[in-house]
Amino acid sequence: MKANFNIKKNTESDETAKVNEKSTESKKELTESEFEEFIVKSGAKGSFMIFRSAKKEDELGLEEL
Amino acid sequence: MPDDFNFTIGETTFAKMLARKKEMGFGDKEWDKWLDYIFTQNDTQKSTQDIIERCMKKLYDEQFYDYWVQNFALNLNNIWNESSAKELDPTKGSSYKMQEHSALVIGRGPSIKKNKHLELLANSDYNGTIVCCDGALITALEAGVTPEKFSNFYVVTIDTQDVIKEWYDDPIVDKYGKKIKGVFSTVVNPSTVERARQAGIKIHWLHALFDHGEGKKSFNQTSALMIRAKNHPNGLPAIQTGGNVGTSSWFVSWQILKCSTVALIGINHGWTEDDPWEVIISHGKTSLPLDMDKNSPIFKKLFPKIYNPEFNCNCILDPIFQYYSIALKEFITRSPNWVNTINATEGGCIFGKRIKCVTLRQFLTEYHN
Repeated sequence: MKANFNIKKNTESDETAKVNEKSTESKKELTESEFEEFIVKSGAKGSFMIFRSAKKEDELGLEEL
Repeated sequence: MPDDFNFTIGETTFAKMLARKKEMGFGDKEWDKWLDYIFTQNDTQKSTQDIIERCMKKLYDEQFYDYWVQNFALNLNNIWNESSAKELDPTKGSSYKMQEHSALVIGRGPSIKKNKHLELLANSDYNGTIVCCDGALITALEAGVTPEKFSNFYVVTIDTQDVIKEWYDDPIVDKYGKKIKGVFSTVVNPSTVERARQAGIKIHWLHALFDHGEGKKSFNQTSALMIRAKNHPNGLPAIQTGGNVGTSSWFVSWQILKCSTVALIGINHGWTEDDPWEVIISHGKTSLPLDMDKNSPIFKKLFPKIYNPEFNCNCILDPIFQYYSIALKEFITRSPNWVNTINATEGGCIFGKRIKCVTLRQFLTEYHN
Protein backbone atom coordinates (compact mmCIF):
# COMPACT_ATOMS: atom_id res chain seq x y z
CA MET A 1 0.00 0.00 0.00
CA LYS A 2 1.23 3.46 -0.80
CA ALA A 3 0.01 6.62 0.92
CA ASN A 4 0.99 10.10 -0.09
CA PHE A 5 0.82 12.89 2.44
CA ASN A 6 0.46 16.19 0.70
CA ILE A 7 1.59 19.39 2.31
CA LYS A 8 -1.00 22.16 2.34
CA LYS A 9 0.67 25.53 2.68
CA ASN A 10 -0.58 27.68 5.54
CA THR A 11 -2.66 30.63 4.43
CA GLU A 12 -3.05 33.81 6.40
CA SER A 13 -6.51 32.73 7.58
CA ASP A 14 -5.11 29.39 8.76
CA GLU A 15 -2.54 31.20 10.88
CA THR A 16 -5.19 33.48 12.34
CA ALA A 17 -7.41 30.50 13.11
CA LYS A 18 -4.49 28.77 14.78
CA VAL A 19 -3.74 31.76 16.99
CA ASN A 20 -7.41 32.08 17.95
CA GLU A 21 -7.60 28.36 18.67
CA LYS A 22 -4.54 28.55 20.91
CA SER A 23 -5.95 31.57 22.67
CA THR A 24 -9.23 29.75 23.38
CA GLU A 25 -7.28 26.71 24.51
CA SER A 26 -5.21 28.75 26.94
CA LYS A 27 -8.43 30.07 28.47
CA LYS A 28 -9.32 26.46 29.22
CA GLU A 29 -5.99 25.86 30.98
CA LEU A 30 -6.24 24.73 34.53
CA THR A 31 -5.04 27.45 36.86
CA GLU A 32 -3.20 26.88 40.10
CA SER A 33 -5.98 28.38 42.19
CA GLU A 34 -8.64 26.26 40.48
CA PHE A 35 -6.58 23.20 41.11
CA GLU A 36 -5.93 24.10 44.73
CA GLU A 37 -9.59 24.85 45.31
CA PHE A 38 -10.55 21.47 43.93
CA ILE A 39 -7.98 19.56 46.02
CA VAL A 40 -9.11 21.26 49.22
CA LYS A 41 -12.81 20.69 48.50
CA SER A 42 -12.45 17.07 47.42
CA GLY A 43 -10.41 16.05 50.44
CA ALA A 44 -8.16 14.08 48.09
CA LYS A 45 -4.78 13.51 49.68
CA GLY A 46 -1.60 12.16 48.24
CA SER A 47 0.98 10.28 50.23
CA PHE A 48 4.07 12.42 49.93
CA MET A 49 5.74 15.17 47.97
CA ILE A 50 7.77 14.98 44.80
CA PHE A 51 11.26 16.38 45.36
CA ARG A 52 12.53 19.02 42.96
CA SER A 53 15.92 20.68 43.00
CA ALA A 54 18.03 23.07 40.97
CA LYS A 55 20.56 20.21 40.89
CA LYS A 56 18.59 17.91 38.65
CA GLU A 57 20.82 14.89 39.36
CA ASP A 58 19.85 15.06 43.06
CA GLU A 59 16.23 14.47 42.10
CA LEU A 60 17.06 10.81 41.43
CA GLY A 61 18.28 10.34 45.01
CA LEU A 62 21.48 10.47 47.04
CA GLU A 63 23.66 7.49 47.98
CA GLU A 64 24.12 8.92 51.46
CA LEU A 65 22.85 12.03 53.21
CA MET B 1 10.17 22.53 1.80
CA PRO B 2 9.76 20.85 -1.60
CA ASP B 3 6.32 21.14 -3.23
CA ASP B 4 6.21 17.45 -4.21
CA PHE B 5 7.07 16.07 -0.76
CA ASN B 6 5.62 12.63 -0.11
CA PHE B 7 6.43 9.56 1.90
CA THR B 8 5.33 5.94 2.06
CA ILE B 9 4.17 4.01 5.09
CA GLY B 10 3.34 0.34 5.50
CA GLU B 11 -0.20 -0.97 5.32
CA THR B 12 -0.07 -2.23 8.91
CA THR B 13 1.23 1.09 10.19
CA PHE B 14 -1.52 2.94 8.34
CA ALA B 15 -4.17 0.62 9.78
CA LYS B 16 -2.81 1.31 13.28
CA MET B 17 -2.86 5.05 12.63
CA LEU B 18 -6.46 4.91 11.44
CA ALA B 19 -7.49 2.93 14.51
CA ARG B 20 -5.66 5.23 16.93
CA LYS B 21 -7.05 8.37 15.24
CA LYS B 22 -10.56 7.01 15.73
CA GLU B 23 -9.91 5.92 19.33
CA MET B 24 -8.68 9.38 20.21
CA GLY B 25 -11.90 10.94 18.97
CA PHE B 26 -10.51 12.23 15.67
CA GLY B 27 -12.16 9.64 13.42
CA ASP B 28 -13.97 12.16 11.24
CA LYS B 29 -11.48 15.01 11.64
CA GLU B 30 -8.60 16.08 9.44
CA TRP B 31 -5.31 14.24 9.77
CA ASP B 32 -3.53 17.51 10.42
CA LYS B 33 -5.77 18.28 13.42
CA TRP B 34 -5.03 14.88 14.95
CA LEU B 35 -1.27 15.09 14.43
CA ASP B 36 -1.18 18.64 15.77
CA TYR B 37 -3.06 17.46 18.88
CA ILE B 38 -0.51 14.69 19.48
CA PHE B 39 2.44 17.07 19.22
CA THR B 40 0.89 19.62 21.58
CA GLN B 41 0.07 16.99 24.20
CA ASN B 42 3.58 16.94 25.67
CA ASP B 43 3.55 20.72 26.17
CA THR B 44 0.14 20.60 27.84
CA GLN B 45 1.19 17.73 30.06
CA LYS B 46 4.30 19.60 31.15
CA SER B 47 2.31 22.70 32.01
CA THR B 48 -0.28 20.66 33.96
CA GLN B 49 2.52 18.89 35.79
CA ASP B 50 4.08 22.22 36.83
CA ILE B 51 0.76 23.52 38.15
CA ILE B 52 0.00 20.33 40.06
CA GLU B 53 3.48 20.12 41.59
CA ARG B 54 3.48 23.76 42.74
CA CYS B 55 0.06 23.37 44.27
CA MET B 56 0.87 20.08 45.99
CA LYS B 57 4.08 21.53 47.40
CA LYS B 58 2.14 24.41 48.90
CA LEU B 59 -0.46 22.09 50.41
CA TYR B 60 2.14 19.73 51.85
CA ASP B 61 4.14 22.62 53.31
CA GLU B 62 1.02 24.02 54.97
CA GLN B 63 -0.63 20.80 56.11
CA PHE B 64 2.06 18.22 56.74
CA TYR B 65 5.44 19.80 57.48
CA ASP B 66 4.89 20.04 61.26
CA TYR B 67 3.60 16.50 61.33
CA TRP B 68 6.67 15.16 59.49
CA VAL B 69 9.03 16.92 61.89
CA GLN B 70 7.13 15.49 64.84
CA ASN B 71 7.27 11.96 63.39
CA PHE B 72 10.99 12.31 62.81
CA ALA B 73 11.61 13.49 66.38
CA LEU B 74 9.77 10.48 67.78
CA ASN B 75 11.63 8.09 65.45
CA LEU B 76 15.11 9.48 66.06
CA ASN B 77 16.15 7.24 68.92
CA ASN B 78 15.13 4.15 66.94
CA ILE B 79 16.86 5.46 63.82
CA TRP B 80 20.08 5.77 65.82
CA ASN B 81 19.74 2.21 67.08
CA GLU B 82 18.49 0.47 63.96
CA SER B 83 19.86 -0.20 60.48
CA SER B 84 20.41 2.04 57.52
CA ALA B 85 18.83 0.95 54.23
CA LYS B 86 22.40 1.10 52.94
CA GLU B 87 22.92 -2.29 54.61
CA LEU B 88 20.59 -3.79 52.02
CA ASP B 89 22.98 -2.88 49.20
CA PRO B 90 24.17 -6.26 47.87
CA THR B 91 27.06 -4.88 45.82
CA LYS B 92 29.36 -5.04 48.85
CA GLY B 93 29.75 -8.73 47.95
CA SER B 94 32.21 -8.76 45.05
CA SER B 95 30.39 -11.55 43.18
CA TYR B 96 27.12 -9.61 42.85
CA LYS B 97 26.21 -8.71 39.28
CA MET B 98 23.37 -6.21 38.97
CA GLN B 99 22.42 -7.31 35.48
CA GLU B 100 21.59 -10.78 36.75
CA HIS B 101 18.98 -9.58 39.22
CA SER B 102 15.43 -8.40 38.87
CA ALA B 103 12.89 -7.05 41.33
CA LEU B 104 9.13 -7.22 41.14
CA VAL B 105 7.30 -4.28 42.71
CA ILE B 106 3.83 -5.15 43.97
CA GLY B 107 1.34 -2.29 44.24
CA ARG B 108 -2.31 -2.45 45.21
CA GLY B 109 -3.83 -1.15 42.00
CA PRO B 110 -7.06 -2.81 40.78
CA SER B 111 -5.37 -4.74 37.98
CA ILE B 112 -3.69 -7.02 40.48
CA LYS B 113 -7.01 -8.54 41.48
CA LYS B 114 -8.54 -8.35 38.02
CA ASN B 115 -5.63 -10.23 36.44
CA LYS B 116 -5.09 -12.62 39.39
CA HIS B 117 -1.45 -11.55 39.44
CA LEU B 118 -0.73 -12.58 43.02
CA GLU B 119 -1.97 -16.11 42.39
CA LEU B 120 0.07 -16.31 39.19
CA LEU B 121 3.17 -15.09 41.00
CA ALA B 122 2.63 -17.41 44.00
CA ASN B 123 2.53 -20.39 41.66
CA SER B 124 5.56 -19.34 39.63
CA ASP B 125 9.21 -20.31 40.03
CA TYR B 126 10.33 -16.66 40.15
CA ASN B 127 13.43 -16.39 42.29
CA GLY B 128 14.03 -12.64 42.12
CA THR B 129 13.43 -9.92 44.66
CA ILE B 130 9.94 -8.98 45.84
CA VAL B 131 9.41 -5.33 46.79
CA CYS B 132 5.95 -5.03 48.23
CA CYS B 133 4.21 -1.70 48.76
CA ASP B 134 2.83 -1.61 52.30
CA GLY B 135 -0.77 -1.44 51.12
CA ALA B 136 -0.37 -4.70 49.20
CA LEU B 137 1.41 -6.64 51.96
CA ILE B 138 -1.52 -8.43 53.61
CA THR B 139 -3.17 -9.47 50.33
CA ALA B 140 0.16 -10.62 48.91
CA LEU B 141 0.88 -12.80 51.94
CA GLU B 142 -2.66 -14.16 51.91
CA ALA B 143 -2.27 -15.08 48.25
CA GLY B 144 0.86 -17.10 48.95
CA VAL B 145 3.43 -14.49 47.94
CA THR B 146 5.39 -14.97 51.15
CA PRO B 147 9.03 -14.66 52.26
CA GLU B 148 9.10 -18.44 52.68
CA LYS B 149 8.60 -18.83 48.96
CA PHE B 150 10.44 -15.66 47.91
CA SER B 151 13.43 -15.28 50.21
CA ASN B 152 14.33 -11.73 49.12
CA PHE B 153 11.18 -10.09 50.37
CA TYR B 154 10.95 -6.38 51.21
CA VAL B 155 8.17 -4.05 52.24
CA VAL B 156 8.32 -0.27 51.78
CA THR B 157 6.51 2.50 53.70
CA ILE B 158 6.73 6.19 52.82
CA ASP B 159 3.31 7.53 53.75
CA THR B 160 3.42 9.44 57.04
CA GLN B 161 -0.18 9.15 58.20
CA ASP B 162 -1.04 7.00 61.21
CA VAL B 163 -3.66 4.98 59.29
CA ILE B 164 -0.80 3.22 57.49
CA LYS B 165 -0.33 1.15 60.63
CA GLU B 166 -3.32 -0.90 59.43
CA TRP B 167 -1.25 -2.34 56.59
CA TYR B 168 0.85 -4.14 59.24
CA ASP B 169 -1.87 -4.88 61.74
CA ASP B 170 -2.78 -8.45 60.80
CA PRO B 171 -1.89 -11.92 62.13
CA ILE B 172 -0.49 -12.93 58.74
CA VAL B 173 2.09 -10.11 58.99
CA ASP B 174 2.99 -11.38 62.47
CA LYS B 175 3.39 -14.87 61.01
CA TYR B 176 5.91 -13.88 58.32
CA GLY B 177 7.33 -10.65 59.76
CA LYS B 178 10.66 -12.05 60.87
CA LYS B 179 11.50 -13.00 57.29
CA ILE B 180 10.53 -9.61 55.83
CA LYS B 181 12.94 -6.69 55.50
CA GLY B 182 11.29 -3.31 55.96
CA VAL B 183 12.33 -0.03 54.33
CA PHE B 184 10.94 3.00 56.13
CA SER B 185 11.34 6.72 55.67
CA THR B 186 12.46 8.68 58.74
CA VAL B 187 9.20 10.67 58.75
CA VAL B 188 6.83 7.70 58.82
CA ASN B 189 4.42 7.76 61.74
CA PRO B 190 6.11 6.03 64.73
CA SER B 191 3.01 3.92 65.42
CA THR B 192 3.30 2.39 61.92
CA VAL B 193 6.96 1.51 62.42
CA GLU B 194 6.25 0.14 65.88
CA ARG B 195 3.52 -2.18 64.56
CA ALA B 196 5.92 -3.47 61.88
CA ARG B 197 8.62 -3.90 64.52
CA GLN B 198 6.23 -5.88 66.73
CA ALA B 199 5.55 -8.19 63.77
CA GLY B 200 9.27 -8.96 63.64
CA ILE B 201 10.04 -6.94 60.51
CA LYS B 202 13.61 -5.65 60.58
CA ILE B 203 13.56 -1.88 60.08
CA HIS B 204 15.92 -0.19 57.60
CA TRP B 205 15.79 3.59 57.46
CA LEU B 206 16.21 6.06 54.64
CA HIS B 207 15.44 9.70 53.96
CA ALA B 208 12.49 10.72 51.82
CA LEU B 209 13.73 13.77 49.91
CA PHE B 210 11.44 16.77 49.74
CA ASP B 211 13.28 20.00 50.60
CA HIS B 212 16.96 19.07 50.33
CA GLY B 213 17.42 21.62 47.55
CA GLU B 214 16.53 24.48 49.90
CA GLY B 215 19.98 24.38 51.51
CA LYS B 216 21.74 23.50 54.71
CA LYS B 217 18.85 24.57 56.90
CA SER B 218 16.34 22.47 55.04
CA PHE B 219 14.65 19.72 57.02
CA ASN B 220 16.32 17.01 54.91
CA GLN B 221 19.79 18.39 55.66
CA THR B 222 19.14 19.22 59.32
CA SER B 223 17.63 15.80 60.06
CA ALA B 224 20.56 14.15 58.25
CA LEU B 225 23.01 15.97 60.55
CA MET B 226 21.06 14.79 63.58
CA ILE B 227 21.13 11.17 62.38
CA ARG B 228 24.88 11.35 61.69
CA ALA B 229 25.44 12.48 65.29
CA LYS B 230 25.12 8.92 66.58
CA ASN B 231 25.82 5.47 65.09
CA HIS B 232 25.34 6.54 61.45
CA PRO B 233 28.47 8.58 60.64
CA ASN B 234 27.82 8.24 56.91
CA GLY B 235 24.14 9.05 57.17
CA LEU B 236 21.36 7.23 55.34
CA PRO B 237 20.46 6.81 51.66
CA ALA B 238 17.99 9.41 50.44
CA ILE B 239 15.40 8.62 47.80
CA GLN B 240 13.04 10.46 45.52
CA THR B 241 9.62 9.15 46.53
CA GLY B 242 7.77 10.42 43.49
CA GLY B 243 5.03 11.21 46.00
CA ASN B 244 3.92 7.64 46.65
CA VAL B 245 5.03 4.23 47.80
CA GLY B 246 4.82 2.62 44.34
CA THR B 247 7.35 5.01 42.83
CA SER B 248 9.43 4.79 46.03
CA SER B 249 9.50 1.00 45.67
CA TRP B 250 10.71 1.36 42.08
CA PHE B 251 13.53 3.63 43.30
CA VAL B 252 14.39 1.28 46.20
CA SER B 253 14.58 -1.67 43.77
CA TRP B 254 17.36 -0.26 41.64
CA GLN B 255 18.95 2.37 43.83
CA ILE B 256 19.18 0.46 47.13
CA LEU B 257 18.73 -3.19 46.13
CA LYS B 258 20.71 -2.77 42.88
CA CYS B 259 18.41 -4.80 40.66
CA SER B 260 18.93 -3.78 37.05
CA THR B 261 15.48 -4.95 35.96
CA VAL B 262 12.46 -3.64 37.84
CA ALA B 263 9.03 -4.96 36.97
CA LEU B 264 5.77 -3.46 38.19
CA ILE B 265 2.44 -5.06 38.98
CA GLY B 266 -0.52 -3.31 40.57
CA ILE B 267 0.94 0.09 39.69
CA ASN B 268 -2.06 1.49 37.81
CA HIS B 269 -1.88 5.13 38.92
CA GLY B 270 -5.36 5.60 37.55
CA TRP B 271 -8.99 4.51 37.66
CA THR B 272 -10.98 2.33 35.31
CA GLU B 273 -14.14 3.44 33.51
CA ASP B 274 -16.11 1.16 35.85
CA ASP B 275 -15.09 3.04 38.97
CA PRO B 276 -17.81 5.37 40.37
CA TRP B 277 -17.19 9.09 39.90
CA GLU B 278 -17.56 9.75 43.65
CA VAL B 279 -14.57 7.50 44.23
CA ILE B 280 -12.54 9.01 41.39
CA ILE B 281 -13.23 12.61 42.38
CA SER B 282 -12.18 12.10 46.00
CA HIS B 283 -9.21 9.87 45.15
CA GLY B 284 -10.80 6.85 46.75
CA LYS B 285 -12.98 8.36 49.45
CA THR B 286 -16.67 7.83 48.83
CA SER B 287 -17.77 10.00 51.73
CA LEU B 288 -17.08 13.36 50.10
CA PRO B 289 -19.36 13.79 47.09
CA LEU B 290 -18.48 16.90 45.12
CA ASP B 291 -20.85 18.39 42.62
CA MET B 292 -18.92 19.11 39.45
CA ASP B 293 -19.92 19.68 35.85
CA LYS B 294 -18.41 16.65 34.16
CA ASN B 295 -18.56 18.33 30.77
CA SER B 296 -16.65 21.43 31.78
CA PRO B 297 -13.14 21.99 30.36
CA ILE B 298 -11.75 22.17 33.91
CA PHE B 299 -13.21 18.78 34.75
CA LYS B 300 -11.58 17.31 31.66
CA LYS B 301 -8.24 18.76 32.74
CA LEU B 302 -8.64 17.43 36.26
CA PHE B 303 -9.84 13.99 35.17
CA PRO B 304 -8.42 13.20 31.72
CA LYS B 305 -9.24 9.85 30.16
CA ILE B 306 -6.28 8.36 28.41
CA TYR B 307 -5.92 5.36 26.17
CA ASN B 308 -3.17 2.90 27.04
CA PRO B 309 -2.21 1.32 23.71
CA GLU B 310 0.14 -1.18 25.34
CA PHE B 311 -2.62 -2.86 27.32
CA ASN B 312 -5.49 -1.68 25.09
CA CYS B 313 -7.48 -0.05 27.86
CA ASN B 314 -8.74 3.35 28.92
CA CYS B 315 -7.66 4.87 32.18
CA ILE B 316 -9.07 7.86 34.07
CA LEU B 317 -6.65 10.00 36.02
CA ASP B 318 -7.50 12.21 38.97
CA PRO B 319 -5.20 15.09 39.97
CA ILE B 320 -3.30 12.95 42.48
CA PHE B 321 -2.74 10.20 39.92
CA GLN B 322 -1.64 12.82 37.39
CA TYR B 323 0.85 14.05 39.99
CA TYR B 324 2.17 10.52 40.52
CA SER B 325 2.10 9.11 37.01
CA ILE B 326 3.63 12.00 35.10
CA ALA B 327 6.51 12.02 37.60
CA LEU B 328 7.06 8.25 37.55
CA LYS B 329 7.22 8.26 33.76
CA GLU B 330 9.65 11.18 33.88
CA PHE B 331 11.93 9.45 36.40
CA ILE B 332 11.92 6.22 34.40
CA THR B 333 13.06 8.22 31.38
CA ARG B 334 15.82 9.84 33.46
CA SER B 335 16.99 6.68 35.24
CA PRO B 336 20.49 5.35 34.49
CA ASN B 337 20.83 3.36 31.27
CA TRP B 338 21.44 0.13 33.19
CA VAL B 339 17.92 0.27 34.68
CA ASN B 340 15.28 -1.63 32.71
CA THR B 341 11.72 -0.95 33.69
CA ILE B 342 9.06 -3.47 32.78
CA ASN B 343 5.41 -2.73 33.40
CA ALA B 344 3.49 -5.98 33.84
CA THR B 345 0.48 -4.32 35.46
CA GLU B 346 -1.70 -5.05 32.41
CA GLY B 347 -3.72 -1.90 33.02
CA GLY B 348 -3.30 1.66 34.20
CA CYS B 349 -1.44 4.52 32.60
CA ILE B 350 2.27 3.77 32.96
CA PHE B 351 3.62 3.40 29.45
CA GLY B 352 5.98 5.27 27.16
CA LYS B 353 9.67 5.87 26.70
CA ARG B 354 11.95 3.26 28.32
CA ILE B 355 8.98 1.28 29.67
CA LYS B 356 8.59 -2.20 28.28
CA CYS B 357 5.02 -3.38 28.72
CA VAL B 358 4.41 -7.11 28.90
CA THR B 359 2.02 -9.48 30.64
CA LEU B 360 3.11 -10.82 34.02
CA ARG B 361 3.14 -14.29 32.50
CA GLN B 362 5.63 -13.12 29.87
CA PHE B 363 7.80 -11.47 32.53
CA LEU B 364 7.85 -14.63 34.64
CA THR B 365 8.79 -16.69 31.60
CA GLU B 366 11.73 -14.45 30.76
CA TYR B 367 13.02 -13.62 34.24
CA HIS B 368 13.75 -16.10 36.99
CA ASN B 369 16.24 -14.24 39.18
